[in-house]
Amino acid sequence: MSDIVFSGVRKAFGSAIALHGLDLTIRSGEFVSLLGPSGCGKTTTLRMLAGLEFPTQGTISIGSRVVNDVPPGKRDIAMVFQSYALYPHMSVAENIAYPLKKRGMPRAERETRVKAAAETLQLGALLQRKPRQLSGGQQQRVALGRALVRDPVAFLLDEPLSNLDAKLRAHMRAELIELHRSLGKTFVYVTHDQLEAMTMSDRIAVMNEGVLQQFATPKEVYEAPANTFVATFIGSPSMNMFEGALADGVFSHPALRVPVTPEASGHGSRLLLGVRPEDMTLGAGPLNGTIRVVEPSGHETIVLLDFAGTTVTVRAPPDMPLGIGSVLACDVKSSRLHLFDAVSGLRIAARFGAALPPA
Amino acid sequence: MATNPLDRRYALLGAVLIAPTILIFSAVIIYPLVSAIYLSLFTIFTPTLRGQWVGLGNYAELMASNEFWRSLANTFIWTVFTLTLQIVLGIAVALMLHQNMVFRSLARSLILFPYFVSTVVAVLVWRWLFNDLYGILNYLALISGLLQRPLDWLGSMPNAMISIVLVGAWKYFPFVVIAVLARLQSIPDQLYEAAKMDGAGPIARFFDVTLPQLKEVLVVVILLRAIWDFKEFDLIYLLTGGGPVISTQTLPLMVYKEAFGLNDMGRASAIAVSMMLVMLVFMVLYLRSAGRSEREGAR
Ligand SMILES: Nc1ncnc2c1ncn2[C@@H]1O[C@H](COP(=O)(O)OP(=O)(O)OP(=O)(O)O)[C@@H](O)[C@H]1O
Ligand SMILES: [Mg+2]
Repeated sequence: MSDIVFSGVRKAFGSAIALHGLDLTIRSGEFVSLLGPSGCGKTTTLRMLAGLEFPTQGTISIGSRVVNDVPPGKRDIAMVFQSYALYPHMSVAENIAYPLKKRGMPRAERETRVKAAAETLQLGALLQRKPRQLSGGQQQRVALGRALVRDPVAFLLDEPLSNLDAKLRAHMRAELIELHRSLGKTFVYVTHDQLEAMTMSDRIAVMNEGVLQQFATPKEVYEAPANTFVATFIGSPSMNMFEGALADGVFSHPALRVPVTPEASGHGSRLLLGVRPEDMTLGAGPLNGTIRVVEPSGHETIVLLDFAGTTVTVRAPPDMPLGIGSVLACDVKSSRLHLFDAVSGLRIAARFGAALPPA
Repeated sequence: MATNPLDRRYALLGAVLIAPTILIFSAVIIYPLVSAIYLSLFTIFTPTLRGQWVGLGNYAELMASNEFWRSLANTFIWTVFTLTLQIVLGIAVALMLHQNMVFRSLARSLILFPYFVSTVVAVLVWRWLFNDLYGILNYLALISGLLQRPLDWLGSMPNAMISIVLVGAWKYFPFVVIAVLARLQSIPDQLYEAAKMDGAGPIARFFDVTLPQLKEVLVVVILLRAIWDFKEFDLIYLLTGGGPVISTQTLPLMVYKEAFGLNDMGRASAIAVSMMLVMLVFMVLYLRSAGRSEREGAR
């Protein structure tokens, strides 16, 4: 069908390299998020797919067609801009009809399609308004309407929710998921908000500094991060890392020891053991941390503990007594630990035993 | 109104502060205006400024004078053609200067040159270019084979009208460039990108994105330039003097001729007042459009 394939795509702006060789296949009908910190090349990737920017090297194809030389209007994809980019002098109906008009569709058919799109997005009552007479959420919906009347093979969205307030954002998130489900089209969604990426996507492409870090389902990205960047970028508060060495099948750090069986050899001797805050149990266990900072947030309390010089974040129930400076006994869920090479940062598949007290 | 003593003192202060402006305004606008209307009701010998009450006699004479109607028609022809050229040329050059090109900032300053040059200097140069015996225009047209015989650019019709229209367009198009360029720079790039995605080519992008955004500024520019071109004097006077005979004589030139050539200040004033009535139409249009954009801005 119409898979989107990036192969070996590089993009340089003068001497600044925005993207170092991207290989990515987005399957037809998939909801894919491009996720990463500011400046990692998400927008550049999307704009190249849209045809607003051209790859320095490599090819982009949609279906069986290489689109490197195809102008944006002929790629059969629609884009929703962060600032919506509605035509200010046209009414809502004219904005939505514009792409159809430019494709020479007869007026009667245009009107039917605009009406259908307006229905889907609950814009019926606003069709005669001008964009400046709409709220941010309504403008957002008009921009979506202008994209979906064309019935394109893919929708590109660049941080479409970032200008909305928190409540409206949650609402639009649900609407987008619903829209994707009912249309069955490919969605490529750029965001730096991991909550959006985790809740909406079929797969997430995590990027950093112009390099694709991992491309997998939200569950996989969370449970089996490919490297320390993904491990610490996904999840909030982020994953704790204990640096240590492996000897006689036991990983040791001054504050904890864990029996480890790596599934492959070839890693270095310095390792990082990763534990998410939610995978530490408090109150009993072989590990002892000193309470440094307590941050209550109502439904839970975030606690920073000191483990022999390593700062570790844990989540505690809101009613737990926590005195600063006192010692808290903890344990880790051994089925939910992660191991990384400290030098390359890559994940090392391994099985773990129950944590042991420090030597 | 001002019940509170502090409010009353502020109101007084306001009146004091605005008084100089009102006085100057009265001295330079109201007084000449009223005296022009007053003078137009007399037959006045310019050197002595003495004359005799004729009521609306000057106006009646004007209405019956072919020269007046011819000059009015000339004024419209000159205004419409030179203004159209100014607008088209101004938009085209502004679009060009808005592109990324080498020496853009240099080109932007050079383009303003005609607007800043004094009219007298510019006209002298143009008269040399147009000169039928030694002018470079004729020279180039002859050696390139465009013309068989030298052309009389300023002394025959319709050449003279075409020449003043062209020089007027050359002199004043930079004003349009400045205004349009400023507006172009504030149109967001994303609108053009959205239009590209929607399948609009370069021409459709101009008519569907650029032009609607320029509409407001163009209305103001057209009205201002229309008023200024309508009352243009020095450029035409210096270039053709209204000739041949009265073929390029516009109303301001006729006013000058009546007042200082034929020494009839009363008739001259009557022409000036008639001219003002025509310009009043432009002014009303301008005020209405300014009011409309203010209302839209406030929404
Ligand atoms: N037109 C441009 N000229 C020069 N450099 C650019 C241009 N566009 C992007 N870059 C650079 O390319 C890199 C990637 O930019 P990009 O806009 O793709 O980041 P992003 O992931 O979308 O970030 P954000 O989350 O802040 O939007 C950045 O370092 C940026 O400075
Ligand atoms: Mg971006």
